[in-house]
Amino acid sequence: MSKAAVFDTRTDAAIAVESPLAYSYRRSGAPTPGPHSQVTIRERAFLGHLILRGGAIVLDEAVREVLGMNLPGKPQGLVHDASGERSIQWLSPDEWLLIVPGGEEFDFENRLREALGDARFAIVNVGGGQTLLELEGPKARELLMKSVVYDVHPDHFPVGKGVTTVFAKATAILRRPSDTRWELVLRRSFADYCYRWLLDAGEEYAIGVVR
Amino acid sequence: MSQIHRTARGGRIDRNRQLTFTFNGKRYQGHPGDTLASALLANGVAIVNRSFKYSRPRGIVAAGAEEPNAVVQLGASEAAQVPNVRATQQALYDGLVARSTNGWPNVKRDLMGLVGKLGGAFMPPGFYYKTFMAPASLWMTYEKYIRKSAGLGRSPTEADPDIYDHLHQHCEVLVIGAGPAGLAAALAAARSGARVILCDEQEEMGGSLLDSRETLAGEPAEAWATQVIEELKGLANVTLLPRTTANGYHDHHFVTLHERCTEHLADTAPRTANGARQSRARLHRVRAGQVVLATGAHERPLVYAGNDVPGNLLAGAVSTYIRRYGVVPGQQLVLSVNNDYAYRAALDWHEAGREVVAIVDARPAPEGDWVTEAKAKGIRVITGSAVIEAKGAGRVSAARVAAIDIDGFRVTGRVEELACDTVASSGGYSPVIHLASHTGARPTWNDEILGFVPGLVKGVHAAGGANGLYALGEVLASGLEIGVRAAAATGHPSSGFELPSAEVRRDGPQVALFQVPHEKPTLRAPKQFVDQQNDVTAAGIELATREGFESIEHVKRYTAMGFGTDQGKLGNINGMAIAARCLKRSIPEVGTTVFRPNYTPVTFGAIVGRHCGELFDPERYTALQQWHVEHGAAFEDVGQWKRPWYYPQARAQSGNGQRETLHEAVARECRAVRETVGILDASTLGKIDIQGADAREFLGRIYTNKWQKLDVGKCRYGLMCKDDGMVTDDGVTACLADNHFLMTTTTGGAAAILEWLELWHQTEWPELDVTFTSVTDHWATMTITGPEARKLLAEITDIDLDRDRFKFMEWRQGKVAGVPARVFRISFTGELTYEINVQANYARHVWETLFRHGEKYGLTPYGTETMHVLRAEKGFIIVGQDTDGSVTPEDLGMQWCVGYDKPFPWIGKRALSRPDTRREGRKQLVGLRPRDPKVVLEEGAQIVLDPTHAIPMPMVGHVTSSYYSPTLDAGFALAVVKGGHHKLGATVYLPMADGTTHEAEIVSTIFYDPKGERQHV
Repeated sequence: MSKAAVFDTRTDAAIAVESPLAYSYRRSGAPTPGPHSQVTIRERAFLGHLILRGGAIVLDEAVREVLGMNLPGKPQGLVHDASGERSIQWLSPDEWLLIVPGGEEFDFENRLREALGDARFAIVNVGGGQTLLELEGPKARELLMKSVVYDVHPDHFPVGKGVTTVFAKATAILRRPSDTRWELVLRRSFADYCYRWLLDAGEEYAIGVVR
Repeated sequence: MSQIHRTARGGRIDRNRQLTFTFNGKRYQGHPGDTLASALLANGVAIVNRSFKYSRPRGIVAAGAEEPNAVVQLGASEAAQVPNVRATQQALYDGLVARSTNGWPNVKRDLMGLVGKLGGAFMPPGFYYKTFMAPASLWMTYEKYIRKSAGLGRSPTEADPDIYDHLHQHCEVLVIGAGPAGLAAALAAARSGARVILCDEQEEMGGSLLDSRETLAGEPAEAWATQVIEELKGLANVTLLPRTTANGYHDHHFVTLHERCTEHLADTAPRTANGARQSRARLHRVRAGQVVLATGAHERPLVYAGNDVPGNLLAGAVSTYIRRYGVVPGQQLVLSVNNDYAYRAALDWHEAGREVVAIVDARPAPEGDWVTEAKAKGIRVITGSAVIEAKGAGRVSAARVAAIDIDGFRVTGRVEELACDTVASSGGYSPVIHLASHTGARPTWNDEILGFVPGLVKGVHAAGGANGLYALGEVLASGLEIGVRAAAATGHPSSGFELPSAEVRRDGPQVALFQVPHEKPTLRAPKQFVDQQNDVTAAGIELATREGFESIEHVKRYTAMGFGTDQGKLGNINGMAIAARCLKRSIPEVGTTVFRPNYTPVTFGAIVGRHCGELFDPERYTALQQWHVEHGAAFEDVGQWKRPWYYPQARAQSGNGQRETLHEAVARECRAVRETVGILDASTLGKIDIQGADAREFLGRIYTNKWQKLDVGKCRYGLMCKDDGMVTDDGVTACLADNHFLMTTTTGGAAAILEWLELWHQTEWPELDVTFTSVTDHWATMTITGPEARKLLAEITDIDLDRDRFKFMEWRQGKVAGVPARVFRISFTGELTYEINVQANYARHVWETLFRHGEKYGLTPYGTETMHVLRAEKGFIIVGQDTDGSVTPEDLGMQWCVGYDKPFPWIGKRALSRPDTRREGRKQLVGLRPRDPKVVLEEGAQIVLDPTHAIPMPMVGHVTSSYYSPTLDAGFALAVVKGGHHKLGATVYLPMADGTTHEAEIVSTIFYDPKGERQHV
């Protein structure tokens, strides 16, 4: 029996949910992408977010067994499974972020706990506290240059990299899953600020929000 | 008015298009490619300003950033006003409106001028210090008028219609300046594949190549510039930033570049093609690996009498206006020089078909190629001499020329007066060392070039003129070499490129001449200006040295030389040379002043970027923000969070739309909690998930109290001290499983406490198996509190709420409103309370379900103000309000929360046995009841024991929290009082600023339900 409390904080019941940006859409609007839009953003709400803490070797074994994927091989790494739906990102020397389709996280948490047994580790469900925002378009990188201090040049920020960095006056996780797409993982309480920042900074690129 | 000084051909202007602009209310014409300065000169506008202190008429002196006089106020409308624009840097656009910043009613007939003439003699250096400082109380009055009459522009009184932004840039090689050295360095670095940023402050890149009379590879030099710029434009690893000034060099090669994005188009930014707003200016925050300073050199003017009369220019500026802008700024030129290179001004003037009256050369026998060429063209060259004085009022009318003895600093020959309307001078060149100086590196004096070359910290390189190299071939070679070196330092070997062949020209040596002697001694000669922007004269510097100011830094303070937006670009070296002469020292012995960012003025908008208005600071919202807004909450800032402060309702009796005051709303909310049930959004409380086999041990070390025996399903209040024994945070921590806890922290302390836990774990106790993860945002927390709380919750949960099976300080999990929830039975109000935690995405559903069921119980939302009143009635502290970093748990009377006999020395334990924490007379937390129940004491009010004591009275403490309690129908307070725990029942006094004195009794901190029965029901 696990010495940590596991708790499925999600329900299958038909209950209204609100993403961290629900209020922002109502208050600030969500401009429809048009032919001039050089950057678009799309929220991937309600995904499962788990923080994995522990040693890299034991965690790597466990995620291979349970998810069929490896931990990123080095710091600031981001890996996806074959479907592209599940990802693991290095956050700090003993900390990774696992993102899975919404609803899968509790099952994965239980299976990982079982696989990890008595090892030193922790798994924390943080899915209600953050949301993922995708950025695409020819000006996505320039929009990020207005927003984050970190160097987002392709030489320095190749596909498969992810960092925690300063976003305007907040903190955000920034990752690059593909050549054309960037992702921001935002904390719920800062999401509205970051959203309004992106709309403002993206105005000159006719930013659109995919809903 | 026609452009009387426009040449028939030449220049990099588009003569096919006319632009109309307005200066001081008068309309003029110019061409695309002009600066405001070149267009004014073309139109024969000699006077552009009045001087700062003496109100003397002033004209354009330079052609670039170093211009001291042509500082104008730009903007056609009030909202678009921009102060401190240098006309030499402002591109002309159609409809441009500019005014002089100084001079009333106008620059030609200036009333202040009379004051300047009369007052000049009475305004020596240090004038402000000497005159206006006494009496000190009047300084504010003086300052207002001084600023009004001086003025270097004004800020707009209307809101700025423009937007601005920042761009975070990173590169391997940053090249500052796109003249010959910068272009060569950038090309060399770019060809290596390094990431290169090349910025240049001018409208066009090319620097001195754009007005050079020299050739490269047999072509005009500007053609080579064009070709290099084209190549750089085509390279993906190169970012070109024209109209971008490197203004500040900060630590670690962090350089701020100020790009003027649309200022060449209009005074407010036009919309983009798709109708979007665009930034008027942008701050590039560049982090560079290596930095190449290719900032060139500023020509030094000679300091002679009357050198500020309009029509006195720099020699190089004359060439720039002629060759780049097609403007000859006068009819008859007298050129006064100490070097060969400046001869080009006369050659250019002559070729433009206007008269060169004479070249006056301070050297006895100049013999360079350009000297020969000038003589061959029939230009009169007067040697061993200088212009000792320019005559004229409003415009130069003559130059007084005489032979001089430089070493003896005296005029040796007969004075000849040459009629002319323009005097150009050159006293050599000063490398632009401002940016290098920002790094803190001291420049070094170079006798050969008669200038300071920059001191360089690691990773900074200076190329070309910035390093004291002036011959074109040498400048290019230096740029190439440094570009290769900088790229190599970033791991990009470069083979460079083949340099174009430059002309080989023989230049004679220059002679050291700064201030030109006059027949009269400096103090009695007509004014010889060193710093025209700040009206600093050679006499002023001489006087300063006589008054004992020997350090150049002091001379600068005393005279204002190089102050403000000017930053000593033209005057500093001359000023130092004059100080050195007076002090009979060498220039390096006198030293140099330090330059500060910014190199030229930066608009505030660019500094702010989009961190303004609604984006000034993050606003953190809970999942229930929209509900709070819809229900009329007034908000309070708690850290960056917006928390409902109170919920003012429409006043029941008035019915005219008036809403409750804070006082009325809080009274209603308090009564609801004490009598029925209230609800608080407590989601902002910090929540930290703690897991690991040693989690319990860790808690025991970090908290003052014991955690070994806390069972699963139970909660405990904990107090946290810093290692100095002072309370730093508190909150309730729940045991979720043997190795799993959920800690709550204060709203404002959440991030700091998480860091605190990590700090101790990582640095002191890494052997402990424990991890900390913030779950503040994951959970939404809804606190229902009041006698009806159980009945309400029972309607929508499957959790057994029986008072004996779910006791106070326990938690249970189950479903609330169909949503998985953890419910904590803890209380910050003293009433029966359940804190419902659900995943934040469900928060609104659960909250609204509570209201649907709660209406019949009178469920009332309450805010932080009511929360404060209710907790204070119970004597519950708020860390940071009732504590201030000097308060121990014992001072709070919370010995019950300290595990003195815990086996491991928890943080702060040792400090609690220090003599200071053990002494008598520490300030201790007590309750205060004002004798007059209608009085609500002021928070922060000082407490005394004897109100009749003479002032200063001994103060024994102060009020930390004070409210009106609707439940008690009286004011009450918490306070810290010296030895307060032994003073229960004593009377204390609170003298107020208005002379009244309140009287209060020291009582227990618990004002309501002292036995705590209500929370246990």
